[in-house]
Amino acid sequence: MTAAKSELELRREFNDLSLRLRPDLYRYAFWLGRDRQLAEDVVQEALLRGWKAFGNLEDASSAKAWLISIVRREFARTFERKRLETVDFKDFEEQLSSAEDDPRLDEMRHAIFELDDDYREPLALQVLMGHTAREIAQLMELSEGAVLTRLHRARARLKQALGMAQVADDSEH
Amino acid sequence: MEHEGKNLRDDNAGPGGDDAFESLLARALRIDVPAAGSPVATRRPRRWLSIAVAASVLIAVGVTVNNFYDARYFSSDDLATDVVAHMNHEPGSLRRTESVVATGEFDQVLQQAGARLSVAPPAVSYVRLCPFRGHMVAHFVVQASHGPVTVLLLPDERVDTRVAVDEDGFIGTIVPMQDGGSIAVVGKADEDISEVRDQIANALRWRL
Repeated sequence: MTAAKSELELRREFNDLSLRLRPDLYRYAFWLGRDRQLAEDVVQEALLRGWKAFGNLEDASSAKAWLISIVRREFARTFERKRLETVDFKDFEEQLSSAEDDPRLDEMRHAIFELDDDYREPLALQVLMGHTAREIAQLMELSEGAVLTRLHRARARLKQALGMAQVADDSEH
Repeated sequence: MEHEGKNLRDDNAGPGGDDAFESLLARALRIDVPAAGSPVATRRPRRWLSIAVAASVLIAVGVTVNNFYDARYFSSDDLATDVVAHMNHEPGSLRRTESVVATGEFDQVLQQAGARLSVAPPAVSYVRLCPFRGHMVAHFVVQASHGPVTVLLLPDERVDTRVAVDEDGFIGTIVPMQDGGSIAVVGKADEDISEVRDQIANALRWRL
C-alpha cells in the first residue's frame, strides 16, 4: 500500500466516522452551550482537530469517545477564549422548532435549559451518547459516585419542573 | 459537596425507571441537526463578540447575514445551492485582500483532502479543510482580477456534465473531473472565473 493510498483510506474512514457521529456531537455541543452557532463552530473545529490527529489514533473502537473528548476540550477552549454571554431562554427558544404536537417536549427542553451545567452535561452524555457512569466519570474527571449523584439530581429536577414526580432527597451541601 | 455514591441504586440515576419520562427526555435532547456545512436556520452574530465588534461584523457581512435567513438555504439536495451556502457560511473567505496563505499550509490542506495540484494557483488568500456533505474537502479562495473566486475540491461529488451555479449574486461552474469527483469554482457575477476554473481543472489530481 502506498503512502497516498493510506492517506486516502484514512480520509474516507474519518469522513465516514464524522458523518455518523456529527449529529450527536452537534447535539452534545448544543447542550453544553445551549447555542446553535456555538455548537456548529465547536463541532467544526473539533472535527478539524480530530482529522489532524486521526492518523495517530491507535484504537479505532475508541474513536467516538475520543471525538467527544475533543468536542469537550474545544468547547472549554472557546469558553476561555471568548467572553460568552449568559444564554437567554428567549434566544434559546428561538433556536428550537416548537413541538406543536407535544407541548411537553418544549417544557422538557425548558427544564433541561434551566439545569446547572454540571447536571446537564452528564445527562446529555448518558442519554445522547450512551455513556456509562464510568465513562462519564473518566471524561469529566469525577468519581463514578459523583456522576451518579449528578444524574440523579438532574432527573429529579426535571421531574420536579414537569410536575412528574415527588422531590427526591436532593439537598445541596 | 456531592454525596458520592449515595444514589447508586436510585432509578433517577439512570434510564429505566420511568419509560414516559425517559422517552420525553431523549426526544427533547435530540434536537434537529443542520446539514454539515450549511448555515443554521436561526444564525445570529456570535454571542461572545463585544457590541462594538459585533456591530462592525454586521456591517461588513450584512448582506451575507441576511442571506442566511433565506429559506432556500435551510435544506437542499442541490449541489450548487450547497456550494453557495457553504461559501456564505464562511463569509471571512469572501474578502478582497492582498494577503496570501503560506504555500506549506495550502499544500497541507490539499494533501489532507486527498488532492494535489501540479501547478499551484497564484494569490490564494484563504484555505481550509471543511466538512461538506459528510466529507472533508479542500476549500480555498483565489484572488482574481475582480475579487475572490472560491474553489471547492469535491472528490466525492460526481456530476455527469458541467453544472452552472447561479445563486445570490454568485456565478460559477461545477466541473466533472476525469478521474472522478468534481470541482466547484464560484465568484461574484462580474468575475470571469474561466481562467481559475481551467487552471485548477487541468492541474488537479486526486491522491489515489
